[in-house]
Amino acid sequence: MTITRRAAMGAALALPAANLVRAARAAEPVAIDLFFPVPVQGMLANEMQTLIERFNGQQPEVRVTAAYTGSYDDTNLKTRAAIKAGRPPAAVIMSANFVREYVINDEVDAFDDLIGQDGKTPSEYMDAFWPALRPNAVIDGRVYGIPFQNSTPLLYYGVDAFRDAGLDPDHPPATWAEWVDAAVKLTRPNGQRWGLMFPGTYDYCGWITSGLVMSNGGQYFNHDYGGEVFYDAPSALGALSLLDLMVNKHKAIPPGVSDANACTGAFFAGRTGMMVLSTGSLSFVRSNMKSPYRVAFMPRNLRNAAPIGGGSLILPKGNTPERRQAAWKLVNWLTSPEISGEWSRFTGYFAPRKAAYDLPDMKAYVQQYPDAKVALDQLQYAVPWFDTYSTVAVRKAMEDQVQALLSAKTTPAEAAAAAQKGADALLRPYVERTALKLPA
Amino acid sequence: MPRQALAALLLLAPSAAFLLAFSYWPVLYVAVESLTAGRGGADLGNYARLFADPHFAQAVRNNLVYAVGTIAPSVTLALLFALALRDSTRLNAMLRTLLVMPLLIPLVAAAALFSFVLLPGQGLLDWYLARLGIAATNWLGDPDLALGSIIALTVWKNTGYYMLFFIAGLAAVPQELLDAAKIDGARALARFRHVTLPMLGPTFGFVLPIALLNALTQVDHVVTLTQGGPSDSTSLLLYYIYQQAAQNDDPGLAAAATLISVAALLALSLGTFRALDRGIHYAS
Amino acid sequence: MRAERRLLATVAIGAAAIAWALPFAWMAVASLRPGVPPDIASLTPPGPFGLGNYALAWRSGSFPLWYLNTLLMCGGILAVQLVTITAAGYAFARLRFAGRETLFALFMLQILLIPALLIVPNLATLVRLHLYDRLLGIMAPYFASGFGVFLMRQTFRAIPRDYEEAAMLDGARIPALIRHVLAPLARPGLVAFAIISVTAHWNEFLWPLMAVVSPSRQVLTVGLASFTAGAEAGSAWGMVAAGTFLVAGPLLILFLLFQRRFVSSFMFSGIK
Repeated sequence: MTITRRAAMGAALALPAANLVRAARAAEPVAIDLFFPVPVQGMLANEMQTLIERFNGQQPEVRVTAAYTGSYDDTNLKTRAAIKAGRPPAAVIMSANFVREYVINDEVDAFDDLIGQDGKTPSEYMDAFWPALRPNAVIDGRVYGIPFQNSTPLLYYGVDAFRDAGLDPDHPPATWAEWVDAAVKLTRPNGQRWGLMFPGTYDYCGWITSGLVMSNGGQYFNHDYGGEVFYDAPSALGALSLLDLMVNKHKAIPPGVSDANACTGAFFAGRTGMMVLSTGSLSFVRSNMKSPYRVAFMPRNLRNAAPIGGGSLILPKGNTPERRQAAWKLVNWLTSPEISGEWSRFTGYFAPRKAAYDLPDMKAYVQQYPDAKVALDQLQYAVPWFDTYSTVAVRKAMEDQVQALLSAKTTPAEAAAAAQKGADALLRPYVERTALKLPA
Repeated sequence: MPRQALAALLLLAPSAAFLLAFSYWPVLYVAVESLTAGRGGADLGNYARLFADPHFAQAVRNNLVYAVGTIAPSVTLALLFALALRDSTRLNAMLRTLLVMPLLIPLVAAAALFSFVLLPGQGLLDWYLARLGIAATNWLGDPDLALGSIIALTVWKNTGYYMLFFIAGLAAVPQELLDAAKIDGARALARFRHVTLPMLGPTFGFVLPIALLNALTQVDHVVTLTQGGPSDSTSLLLYYIYQQAAQNDDPGLAAAATLISVAALLALSLGTFRALDRGIHYAS
Repeated sequence: MRAERRLLATVAIGAAAIAWALPFAWMAVASLRPGVPPDIASLTPPGPFGLGNYALAWRSGSFPLWYLNTLLMCGGILAVQLVTITAAGYAFARLRFAGRETLFALFMLQILLIPALLIVPNLATLVRLHLYDRLLGIMAPYFASGFGVFLMRQTFRAIPRDYEEAAMLDGARIPALIRHVLAPLARPGLVAFAIISVTAHWNEFLWPLMAVVSPSRQVLTVGLASFTAGAEAGSAWGMVAAGTFLVAGPLLILFLLFQRRFVSSFMFSGIK
């Protein structure tokens, strides 16, 4: 009884006090941190700082400090550490496929209440975005990530190299058969020119591998449950065999792992006829490639498919309501059609909000640059991005095997089996406390 | 006497407090943590899991290769450089400076430089090798070469440092001893083997443990250049620990691996000290 | 014959030393070349040259902040170390007490137990002491230095006892004695230690990476790593070179200016 009364009195006293404090603070902007990665090449960190300065200059209520936190994987590590230390940033541009793990670990807040205060249901809100983005953003029916910069892998090819190899640049390879044929024809001995290159470093490697598996009709992972991957399914085995064929039999792809810099460097110098790279690199390639080039869909075996990539804005747990509101304001501004369109034109990422493409600037851009249009058109074939429990480690289980395959250290069948075994071991703790947990 | 003991206690207390908190307690902590910290759903102990983990075995193997691969060439080169540059002429001083410069820069900066040096095709190395007609090489992307490239970077970084000690060690070899050997008609190589080398015993006793410590505790270049890849070919022990702690969020495995590293470091360092000690005794 | 062989040896060592310096030469040349030239590897490009890459790098990272944090970290570590190692070094050099040798051996053990190796437990300790994500947390494990104690013990032992005895006769107490009589005499040892300590901590990466998460508390090496690893620079190698120079440059320049000092300190030391 006394306790209740005291609590009530305390609340009665605290409420107006809190209001007073809030009123006094209203004049002062709420200071928040935004962690952002730069996963592709180009001067993106510079541009992001400029963008945030503009946001700060446009309104008095929120003051954002944008902190550049390295690659997607680095940003993940730093965000996790910050949350554990009790100092979460108010918002993070997180690799969209890590969102599920944050949900599993109970480290993010959903956006539903914030969306609701604007009079929308989460589903209505997400309707404004490309549908392929939804599975990595909406988890268990709640919105945890707002897409900001999104991509799919694209096939870039050099027009001169194609002509030189007797190929028609107006008809890029559309199927795996045509792809292998083109790669073989483009290859010149002693590394003078490779048929195809793609980044095989961690993160990129898993993304492109998953794309090949999906083009081969596969799922690669269970979209609805974070405890299963299908690394040894026939669709995966076929994709690994395709790599084996092009690298080890036809020697049309340089052996070993190449990073993005090696790929673009070789492409710019005419030392590779084709490369697979993110749409997020479109602007970088456009401004650095001196000779003519074009882009095409990822070639298919059984179906056209391209995995979604890119970053979504998330709100780590542990922020005050005040900071969440401030972050929401920033999120809305960054993902508005105008700003996301601008960012899309600067980088090559596609703008996640459909309305961005109705703006005149964007229409002109897509018309002017046919490569941007191809990227946009491929969206209809976009599939969700790999996300599981312990995403990075499970992703690496396959990546290590692909890397070994690229150096002829293993066979496709062995690689598929080893990747599955490694992934199963990593997923085991989660599987045991979820799918395998039965009523007593 | 007790007055001195009291003074000593007061003077040593600040250091002792920090040593306890950050050097000795941590060892105790990992020992306990490695036995108690579990992982949801895992039914094996941390050590059993660690020894069953192929990534750990790979990291241990890599670290052995890395230790031998960095220590042998950098110590040998350091000794050769020291022999060539022992006299303090102006030219020698300049050459010494060039060799020591890598010591002054952070390992992450060295890694940033080498990410370009080793870039296939356009990088510093391949660009000039191409002039000799040598085709582009995937220095960091080929699992057979990647560890070697990381080793080369480490040798580049540390050799100048070890050279300094050998120069100091050589300065301590009495000239009379060498002169006497010369009069005896000993050839240069024999003089080096029977006079100079034994006198350098203490220098080796100094340099080898330091080199060993570097081989076990420096992974900045792995973190920034290769992330242990491709296919785990450049994963070292400490990188494995970092991965378990930061990326896989598995404190039990990280603690078990830490304790094993500490034990290995202590055993090997003491072993080196001993072996060299004996070597010096034989020599004298 | 002998002269020829000597010449050959000189040429060989000269070539090796030049090869050693090539990465630095490339850093200097490439950092001055604007844009993304295809022959970025060239050590003798025709030009043009400019400082644009430095401006770009400066803007892409938070260099002023990183410099400040690095200076605070190195300065803070050194300030405390000078006190702890002088006190402990004196105790081991001059005082007689039970268990002195054992205790000294325990102190020396710390040279092996470096914080980078003990990341996991030391992070747990920082969290418990509320030092996680603070510059003080990066510094704390280094406040005691086994190596520094060793160095100071040697230094004090080399100082004749006469000075102290004279001062003791005047009734000086131990702290005053150390501060006013011995520390000035031990200056060479302290300077050597300072150079080694600052070099080691300026260049350190893994521990500061783990001990601090807030971007506002990051140091130079950690900043450089996200700067280069995030592919921000992409093929803009000139900018990578400029950023690397901004991080590595200050110590390199100090080294070139005060070579003798640095080299004698490193020789004096043995251990970083």
